[in-house]
Amino acid sequence: MRRLDAIALVWWVAGTAAVFFMLAPLVALFVFSFSAGSVLTLPVTGWSVRWYRELAATPEFWIALKNSLVVCVAVGFASTTVGTMAAMAMARLPARRAGALISVFSLPVMLPPLVLALSMLTFFVGTGLGLGLPTVILGHLVYTLPFVVLIVYARMAAFDPAIIDSARDLGASPWRTFATVVLPVARPTIIGAALVAMALSLDDFVIALFTIGGGNTLPTFMWGMLRKGVNPGINVVGVVLVTLILVASLLALRVTRYRG
Amino acid sequence: MSLQASTDARSAVAPGPAPGAGRAEPLVRLSGVTRRFGAHVAVHPVDLAVHRHDFVAILGPSGCGKTSLLRMIGGFLEPSGGTIEIAGRDVTRLPPDRRPTNMVFQGYGLFPHMTVRQNVAYGLRIARVSAAERDRRVEEALALVHMESFADRLAPQLSGGQAQRVALARTLVMRPEVLLLDEPLAALDLKLRKTMQEELRGIHRSIGGTFVFVTHDQEEAMALANRILVMQDGRVVQEGGPTEIYGRPATRFVATFVGDANLFDGRRAGGRVDLDIGPAFADAGRDGPVTAVVRPQAITLETGPAAAAGAAGRGGDRIALDGRLVDIVPLGPSVKFLVAVGDREIAVTRTVTGPVEPLEIGSRVVLSWRPADQVVIAGGPAP
Amino acid sequence: MTLRRGPLVLLSPAFGVFAVCFVLPAAYFFVVSFWQVRSYRLVKETTAENYLRVFTDYSGPLLDTLVLAFIVATTVTGFAFFYVYLCRFKAGRFAPLLLFAAMLTLFGGYLTKIYMWRTILGDSGILNASLITAGLIEEPISVFLFNPVAVVITLGHYLVPFAILPLYGVMHAIRDDPLEAARDLGASRWHVFRHIVLPQCRTGIVAAFTLTFLFTSGDFATARLVGGPDASLFGVFVQGQFTQRLNQPMGAAMAFTMLACCLVVVSAVALGVRRAVAYR
Repeated sequence: MRRLDAIALVWWVAGTAAVFFMLAPLVALFVFSFSAGSVLTLPVTGWSVRWYRELAATPEFWIALKNSLVVCVAVGFASTTVGTMAAMAMARLPARRAGALISVFSLPVMLPPLVLALSMLTFFVGTGLGLGLPTVILGHLVYTLPFVVLIVYARMAAFDPAIIDSARDLGASPWRTFATVVLPVARPTIIGAALVAMALSLDDFVIALFTIGGGNTLPTFMWGMLRKGVNPGINVVGVVLVTLILVASLLALRVTRYRG
Repeated sequence: MSLQASTDARSAVAPGPAPGAGRAEPLVRLSGVTRRFGAHVAVHPVDLAVHRHDFVAILGPSGCGKTSLLRMIGGFLEPSGGTIEIAGRDVTRLPPDRRPTNMVFQGYGLFPHMTVRQNVAYGLRIARVSAAERDRRVEEALALVHMESFADRLAPQLSGGQAQRVALARTLVMRPEVLLLDEPLAALDLKLRKTMQEELRGIHRSIGGTFVFVTHDQEEAMALANRILVMQDGRVVQEGGPTEIYGRPATRFVATFVGDANLFDGRRAGGRVDLDIGPAFADAGRDGPVTAVVRPQAITLETGPAAAAGAAGRGGDRIALDGRLVDIVPLGPSVKFLVAVGDREIAVTRTVTGPVEPLEIGSRVVLSWRPADQVVIAGGPAP
Repeated sequence: MTLRRGPLVLLSPAFGVFAVCFVLPAAYFFVVSFWQVRSYRLVKETTAENYLRVFTDYSGPLLDTLVLAFIVATTVTGFAFFYVYLCRFKAGRFAPLLLFAAMLTLFGGYLTKIYMWRTILGDSGILNASLITAGLIEEPISVFLFNPVAVVITLGHYLVPFAILPLYGVMHAIRDDPLEAARDLGASRWHVFRHIVLPQCRTGIVAAFTLTFLFTSGDFATARLVGGPDASLFGVFVQGQFTQRLNQPMGAAMAFTMLACCLVVVSAVALGVRRAVAYR
C-alpha cells in the first residue's frame, strides 16, 4: 500500500511538472505583456498597458494583422471547400484507397516547412508568377488541406450509410440528400476543420516568410521585431497572435465536440 | 409520383384481403436477377414473383446473398443481370428515390439531427405533400407504431425498440407499393423481438401492404411470412409456405437450417432404402444416395421392457434403433434427450404435459418413428 | 452512374491544389538543384556539382543537424509518450484536463514560443532572476541561452503537442480487456507494458519521431534566435543560400540532400523501433 502511494505521488509530481513545462511560457507571455518595465525579468516592477498602446500606434502592425486575417479567412474558406469535397469523395472509396490518398495529401505536412516554402518560392519566382498574399494563400492551402481532409474524412467514414440510403429511399435526390442530411449532420465537423485550418494559417511563419515577397503577416512582422532584439512589444504581438489562434482552436474543439 | 401510384390499394387503414388472394399479375417480378462482386457471385439468377398482400421472408445464413437481393429490389444495388418489375414497370435501372418501395434498414438509418416527427415527415416533405395532409399522415403513422408520445424526441435519444418503430413509421407513412425490411428485428433482445413480430403481423394485417423482409432467424421467418425463400450461397434453394418449408425440406441444408433435424444417410435401390445406421424401409424413387430427415419430436423414446426387447422387437410399421441415453436437456415446455446410437448422437424432444418420469442417464432406450413422419431427400452428405 | 464519376469530380480541386502548390514546385525545385549560379546569374546546365559541394562544404553542419534532430526527436517522443501514457493509464478523471493543456499549446504560436524561451533563458531572464533571488548565484550566468541545449528545450516545447497527437491516437485505441486478461494470465505490470501496450504503440511512436525529426532538421528560426554559433543548424545555411548568397540551386541541392539523409535516418529508426517493441 505504502509503495503504491509513493508511485502515485511520483506520477503526480511528474505530471504536474510536465504541464508546468508546457504552459508556463504561455502564461509568462501574457503576464509580461502587462509589465511596465522594458526589461523582462522577475519580479515584475509595475503593471501597465503601455506596450499595447505603443503597438496600436504602429501602422505596420495593423497592416500585418489585416494581411494575416485576409490570408486566414481565404485559406479557411478555400481549404474547407476543397478538403470537404475531397473527403466526401474519399468516404465512398474503399478504406485502403482512401488511406493511401490521405498519405499522399499529407506529404507537404511531413516535409520540413522550410523545404516546402523554398520550393514554392523557387517555383513561383522561376515561373514568373511572382510573390504576394495570393502565393501565401496557395502555400497555406496545400499545408492545411491534409488536416481538413483527415478531419472531415474521419467523420464521413463513420457516417452511417443507412442514413444516406434512407434519405434516397424516401425520395430525396443525391443533391437533396447531401443538403438535408449529410451537410447538417457533418456541419460541426466541417466548421471545426475550417477553424483548424485558420489556426494553422495564423500560426504559420515559415511559408509566409518565403512566399509573401514584400509585406508582412503577423508572424513575419514578429520575426522582424525579434531579429532587432528583445522588445516588450513582441510580447503584445505574441499575445494577439496566440489569442487569435486559441480562440480559433478552442472554438474548433467546442464545435466538433458538439453532438459527439 | 410513386405516391399517387401507390395510394390506390392501401390508402385506407382497413383489413386487406387474405395474403396471396387473387393470383393475378404479381406486384414484384424478378427475372434472372444476378449480382456479381468482381469474380464472386453474390446472387445467382433468381426468379421471384411477389403478389399483392404477400408477406415474404428471404431466409438464410449470413453471406448467403439475401441482403444483396433485397437491396437490388430497393434500388441500392444494381443487378449485374436480369430485370426487376414493380407494378408492371421495369425499375431495374431506377435509383431508390424513384422506386415505389421503401426500406427499413438494419441500423434503422434515422436522421440524427431530426426529431421523431421530422424523421417521419421527411419523405412527405420531399414529395411535397401539403402541410395539413402531412401532419395528418405523420400522426397516423406514429399512432400505428405507438410512438405518438415520443414525437418531439431527437432520434439519438431513442432506445433500440423505439428507433425501430420510428424507422417503420417513416416508411409506412409513404404508403409504399412494397415495404422492404432488412433484418428489422435483429438488434432487439428476444422479448422485444417477439413483441415486435406480433406488431408487424398486426400492421401487415391492418394495412394490407406487401412486405418483403430479410432474416437469418428461421423462427422469425415462420412467425411472420406467408411465403419463405430459403437462400444458400447466393441461390434460392427452396421456396414455399412455412409449413411446406418445414414439413417438406428440399435439401439437407433446408432441413437443418429451418428447425432441428436428425439426418440419416442411406442408399435407395429398387424401391428400398437402407440407412447406414441399420434399419431399412420401402420408399419409391430413383436409385442412389438419399437422406432421411426426422424431426426430433417425431421420434418416440421408450425404456424398460420395450428397450429390453430391442429394436428388433418393434413392429414392422416403425423404423427403430437401439440406443443409450446420454443427456437430458430441460427446455421448459419440452425436454430434449440426446441418445447415442453407434457413433451418432440423436436428438429426441418430448412435450412436457405432466410430471416427467425419472430417466437414468446411461440407460438403454429404443427410438422409433413412423415412415410417414420422415422426409426422404435425394442426395447424400456433401463430398 | 454518378457513383462512378462523382469521386473524381469531387477530388479534382484537391488534386489541382496538390499539383500546383506541391508537385510542380517540388519537381521544379529538384530540377533547379542541378543548375548553377555564376556571377549572380542562373545557368541552366545540368550538373551534380552542387550535390558534391554539399558534402565537401556542409557535411559538418549536416551531421550536427542530424544528431541534434535525433536528440530532439528522441526527447520529444519520449516526453510525449510519458505524457500520453499518464493521460491514458494514470490520470483518471484528470486525463481530459491534461490533454486539454497539451492541445492548448498545439497552436500556441511558433515564434512566440521561441521568444518566450529566449526571455526565460536569457541573461536577465526569469531563470537567472529566480536563481539570484534564491541566492544560488550572484551574477546572471549565460549558460542557458545560445547553445544546443536551448535549441532542444525550445524546439522540444514547440513539438511536444505534435508528438502527442499520433501517440494519443494509438494509445486511445488500446482496449482495457486484453490488459486485464494479461494480468489475469499472470503477467506483471512491466510485462503488460512491455509486451501488450508498447507493441500496440509502434505506429504512433514512429509517427511522432518522424514528425519531430523532420521538423527539427528543417528548422532555422529557433537556431537563429536561441541557438548561438555552436548550434548553426543546416536550415540556417539553406536559408542563407536564398536570402544572402542568392544561390537557389545550391540551396535546393542542400534541401534535397537533407531530405535524403532524413529519409535514411527515419527508415532506420522505424526499423529499429519495430524490432525493439515487437512481441517476442
